[in-house]
Amino acid sequence: MTEVLMPNTLAEALSMISKDGHDVLILGSGSDVIPRIREREIVPKKVLDLSGLGSELNYIRIEGNVIRMGALVTVRQIIDNELFKGRLEAFLQAGRMFGGPQIRNMATVGGNLGAASSSEDLIPIFIALDAKVKMASIDGDRLVPVSKLVVAKRQIDRRPNEIIREIYFEMPDDSSWTAFFKAGRRNSLIIDLINMAMYLKLNIDGTKIEDIRIALNRVRGKTPERAYKTEEYLRGKRIENETIARAQEVLDSEVQLSSDFRASAEYRKSLDKVILARLINNCRDRIVEGRRTGN
Amino acid sequence: MKISVNVNGRNVDADVEPRKLLVDFIRDDLHLTGTHVGCDTSSCGACTVLLDGVAVKSCTMFAVQANNRNITTIEGLSKGDELHRLQSAFIEEGGLQCGYCTPGMIMTSAWLLSNNAAPTEEEIRNGISGNLCRCTGYDSIIRSIQKASSDRRGGRK
Repeated sequence: MTEVLMPNTLAEALSMISKDGHDVLILGSGSDVIPRIREREIVPKKVLDLSGLGSELNYIRIEGNVIRMGALVTVRQIIDNELFKGRLEAFLQAGRMFGGPQIRNMATVGGNLGAASSSEDLIPIFIALDAKVKMASIDGDRLVPVSKLVVAKRQIDRRPNEIIREIYFEMPDDSSWTAFFKAGRRNSLIIDLINMAMYLKLNIDGTKIEDIRIALNRVRGKTPERAYKTEEYLRGKRIENETIARAQEVLDSEVQLSSDFRASAEYRKSLDKVILARLINNCRDRIVEGRRTGN
Repeated sequence: MKISVNVNGRNVDADVEPRKLLVDFIRDDLHLTGTHVGCDTSSCGACTVLLDGVAVKSCTMFAVQANNRNITTIEGLSKGDELHRLQSAFIEEGGLQCGYCTPGMIMTSAWLLSNNAAPTEEEIRNGISGNLCRCTGYDSIIRSIQKASSDRRGGRK
């Protein structure tokens, strides 16, 4: 019989997994894991439920220009927080289409990072923001860049005695914007065929791309990854139709998307190209608009 | 594991198997069978209940996770014989056919209206997008929710 551990403090939780952490499955809310336990897809010896740690792990703070989110922040809290209504729009775009309303009420940031399935929508956004994950253990904290977090499908760089404690990133400046898009068969309760997150910064006079980071899911072995070559091509370029068309070709040659029962690799690739153009234009328009209205 | 939960305003102390889902605890242990199980995979929303006032799928959490929290099920919405305005509106507008999805629809709607007393049609559609109705009765469900929201504001459309 599975044992459910329900600590009340992080210190207590960390001591519970300090020795036999291999046997323990950690739950943020359980919205990903519980259906999989039901299906017997996973049969954990012990489950560690973090839901009692809200006072320690549920916060969204801004310190200087760094935004810190505790592992137990829910998708609902992100959607409702004013902080995400401007340059961090990617979170809103992902949040509004995340699972369904009830799942958004439960699903946590830490759970999304920990589950690391190919459909975890927040991971590409965190990658585009160059975020870092803080892992806690009884030996102290360890930082993992989110771009290095997912090592294979549903496998992350987390040691058995560690708990995801926090994720943090720099707030984009007023020449920058973030955007996210996912394509699925319907808007709600769907595993996406493809998703993409983008951070884009324009130069001072707003004519060229100064910096860009593009992250997609399902790249190489279903792990999320940066499209480095596409980024490199776009850096310093003017946003014109020809540039975008060429960038789409670079992206096409760079990503290795896989086929499955949901969609073929070819279809995913054609979606990717459209999404790339859309996100570039979306970010550019919002930066230009913000400058005009002084936001 | 011993848990203490408040269900529909009543304190319940129980000893539950750690792996027991909240929905099974509600149905099998508390005999509140208004909360339905449609899919068991967090898709259909028939099992929606309010946890501290927030709509969640009770098939997607363990009963022990509800320890020290407040649960409202469909049975807890009415006051004695007086139906909740959502329940009345669903009856008046024909917001149900077979009725299987109805408790989940109503609980999700109760949460929606608690955050947004006068949602637009689009907000309602988004709000219930985690609840499936296989009788394809969405239009009348939406009319029911609209009616409940306009009733709350004291006027009818």
